[in-house]
This record gives sequence, C-alpha cells and structure tokens, in this order.
Amino acid sequence: MSIIGSAFMKQAAFVAKGIGIPFALAEYPGAPMVDGEADIRAKVDRHLMPAILDGLTKPRTASSVASEAEPEPGTVVFRGTLDEVQEHFLTRLWSDGLPVIPPTAERVAAFLEFTERKPEEIIGVFPLEGREATIHSIAVNGVMAGCRPEYMPVLVAIVQAIAKPGFRLEDAGSTPSWEPLIVLSGPIIKQLDFNHGAGLMKIGRQANGSAGRFLRLYLRNICGYRIAPGDGDKGSIGYSFNVALAEDEDWARDIGWTSFGEDMGHAPGDNAVTVQSVVCITPPTYSSGAEARGHVQQFVDVMGRAFSYWAYSGLKRGYWHSVIVIGPSIAKVIAKTMSKDDVRRYLWEQATIPASLMQNFARQTGGLELDFRKLIDEGYISPDYLASDDPNRPVRIFVNPGDIGIVVAGDPGRNQSRGYMANHEQGARTTQRIALPRNWDELLAQARPPHAQ
Amino acid sequence: MEKTSEAQFEVLWPLARKAKRAESTATAVGDLSGKTVAELWDYIFRGEIIYPAIRERLRERYPGIKFVDYTHFGNIHGPRQRDIVAGLAARLRELKVDAVISGIGA
Repeated sequence: MSIIGSAFMKQAAFVAKGIGIPFALAEYPGAPMVDGEADIRAKVDRHLMPAILDGLTKPRTASSVASEAEPEPGTVVFRGTLDEVQEHFLTRLWSDGLPVIPPTAERVAAFLEFTERKPEEIIGVFPLEGREATIHSIAVNGVMAGCRPEYMPVLVAIVQAIAKPGFRLEDAGSTPSWEPLIVLSGPIIKQLDFNHGAGLMKIGRQANGSAGRFLRLYLRNICGYRIAPGDGDKGSIGYSFNVALAEDEDWARDIGWTSFGEDMGHAPGDNAVTVQSVVCITPPTYSSGAEARGHVQQFVDVMGRAFSYWAYSGLKRGYWHSVIVIGPSIAKVIAKTMSKDDVRRYLWEQATIPASLMQNFARQTGGLELDFRKLIDEGYISPDYLASDDPNRPVRIFVNPGDIGIVVAGDPGRNQSRGYMANHEQGARTTQRIALPRNWDELLAQARPPHAQ
Repeated sequence: MEKTSEAQFEVLWPLARKAKRAESTATAVGDLSGKTVAELWDYIFRGEIIYPAIRERLRERYPGIKFVDYTHFGNIHGPRQRDIVAGLAARLRELKVDAVISGIGA
C-alpha cells in the first residue's frame, strides 16, 4: 500500500508495472507541501483512508501490471520514408522529439563492428521498466542519436558507468530534473574529435553533442524516463541534455596537474568515461590576476553561492559531487602555487552560508528541519557544523573536499570557468574505462580516413 | 517530389526485452483487527502528520491493531536506502508484520 501525490500517480503505476507488483495506491490530492495541517488531516479522512482500507483489505489482481506483447530485439518494426519513420517513432515516444537517424539493420551492424561484445550481452537490467540494457540496444540508440559507429566503445562505457549501483539510475526521473554529464578522458578525445576548447558544452561538435544526446535517448527508451505524454520522468522544470565534456589533457599535464581521468583512478593514457548528474550550472565565472588566490576566491564567491541553496541535500547524504571546469589560462596561473588538492581544500574551507539559511532551504523543499546534531551523530558531517549555537554561524557547503572534481577545459584565450553541481546522491559520480576492440586502429583508420579529419 | 520516389527505411525496434520477473505474492490482509501494520517513510512531504492521522483512524476502526511506526526502519529514501531495502523483508518477518503502508510519493 503506497501513498502517492496526485501528480505522481502515473509514475507510481509505471514503476509498479516495471517491477511487476500490483501495489495498491492511495492518492493524496494535490501537493502536500503547500497544505496546512488541517487540510492534510481532512485529506487523510476524505481521500487516503478509503483507499487505504480498500487496498489493505481487498484482493488485487496482477492484471494491472501485466506486460503487453512486444517485438524481439532486432525486429524490423516499420518500413517507410524518412518522414514516416519520424512519425512512427514520435507516436510511440521512441524519439526525443528531434529527428532521429533511422536505425536500419545495416547502420546498427556498423556500430557493432566497433565492439567485441556480443549484441545480446546484457550490461544490466535497468529501471524503471526492467529492460535489459544490451549491446544491441546501445547500437540502435547510438544510431538514432546521430553518433558515428566508431563512438560505440564510448557509448558502451557510458552505459556501463550508469549501470553501477552508486549512480542510482532509479532516481533519474526525480523532480529536480537533473541531467547526466559525461566527462571523457584519454587519447580517444582527440581520436574521435571531441571538443575540449572554446565552445565547450555547446552543441556544434558531432562527438560531444551526439554522445550526450545518446545518453538522454537511452534513458528514455531503455529506462522509460519520458516526460508527458510519457510516464517515467517526473522532472518539474528541467533543462536540455548536456553535451559530453572533454578535458584539455595536454594543458593539464603541461601545468603539472593530473588529468581528471587520473583523478578518477585511471592510468595515464587510459580512455575512460565518468558520468554524474548535474542539476545546477553556475554562471560563467570570470577571474583575473596573476595570483592563484584571487581565482579560487572567485570560485568560492560565484560557484559557492550558486551551489549553496542545494548544499543541505548533500549534507544529508554525506557526499555531494561537483565539477569545476577551470579555463586553461586560469588553471595555468593557479597551478604555479596550488595543486588540485589545494584548490579543493580551499573551496571546502571557504565556501559557507549561514546555518539558518541552509536550514530554511531544507525546510522549503521537504518540510522537515535540517538536524545538524543527528547528521553529526550518524557520521554524515563533522562536529564543527555545531561549532556554536549562533544561528548565523557559517557552515560549509561542500561536504568533502574529495567530492570536488576539477577539469581543465574551455577557451584558453579567455579567463572563464564554470561549475556543475550534482543532485546529491542521485546520479553520483561513476567511472568506467573504455574497452577498445583489438583492431581499433585499423577500424578507426577505415572509419575516419585522413582526408576526412 | 512524390513520396514514392523517396528512400524507404526498414527500422529496428529501439527498445529492449523486459527481464523476466518474479510473480507478486502479495495478498490482501482482510480484517485488520489484531494485525500488525508497518510504516515506511521517506522522511519528507508531511508524513509526520499523515502517518499519525492514519494510525488514529485505523485504531478507531480495528480493535487490537498494532503499528510498527516509521522510526523503526529509518529513511527508506535516504543515504542508507539500499541497506534498509535489502534487509526489509527479513525485518518485516522478524516484526511479524501483516501489511505495510509506504510513502510519501510526491
């Protein structure tokens, strides 16, 4: 028996169907967070109690969660012109609303050439619909998203990364409307022409754009995270998918810093993807001067403020991932006197907000007080969050310095950086080494002849 | 250009097979008198008002009904969610629970 707000009934039925359990649902009319106590009690009597009594005392059938017959993977489901294919996919909610490349058997086969794994191999069973995330499904959706066949090893690694339990794929349709961010590491950045310079994070480069679109499309088609008229995605006010982020690794090494991939535990020269959620992007953060301190203090003042509203949600989980993309010329200045760890520690120590404001932010979202004492006792935060009883004492917004990712990328000719903030534990950072086929160089040479590069 | 002169595409199904799943064995409790009802809460969306109100109403209606309130389980959608859920079936059996009310999905 589950209590569900009106606006979430479709999602609840969708989840029940995905896991095959005919839950009894009691509908709470409206949104509980904007009701007073008397209204809530009245709704319990008028609406919840009849449904709870019914659900707990009367038998239910499994028919409500029965699955309709579906095609087998690899089945040709339609034949038509380009326009007719688009309409067919739009009608069935199989596209993201933008035109898709028709996933023909020939195109899918071309993608499968770039992996040694069998098409039927299952990486995981993905929520919400309980579908098998297969190599074949990756190829089909990669075609549709406009990827090139040689991106296939990257696409497989992306799906492997989000399949890890820590990513919490089951939370990808939550109301804050987070979007996954792919960070690419290794020589494959150059081999596949991912942009890491000016115009970073903008649509316009095939590799970055289509890889990002692939992941959003995969969440729709294999997980079932579709906005209305679909059922699975309950994002309230979202934003567009993120194009993939790639690091300027040469620059990072030239200034004596490790690459982001190395920070994630990969060996130098390894190809890897890291995926995490992003629910907030900071303003473009301009900083100036020849001293490191001025730049990192600007990160505190601009990015720290942008992140501070949601910080309580990280405290409640004991971790909270963010990515600071530092413009190459700025990174060069900082690296003269500070390591990446120094930057992380400075941000962790200096970015604070008044405790009372953090508590208000928590109250506004979910209705409960943020209990610093309880979080300290349970080991999520350190005792200094209660260093005094002053309600306006400064409290840190970053839970752990190690949660702050640093990527050197962007326009070397401008003094700009930007921050990306995760949705607390949902879409926590996971990483996956990219496995290349043994004949990668040969395949790549065939796919990308020198005259085309 | 007439449609008949356009290229035709035979396209593959873009979804994937649903994994086989266990059949639900959940059955209705029937009369709740003397039965034990557990509460699972995600510690958000006014459950601190909703659950006590439901408890009150069920007690009025079913003599001897017992509750294992949400504090026995912790936040089912918090940082320890996976551990709590993994141990839930055993915990419910241990507490001899007949029915569960979970929430608040909002």
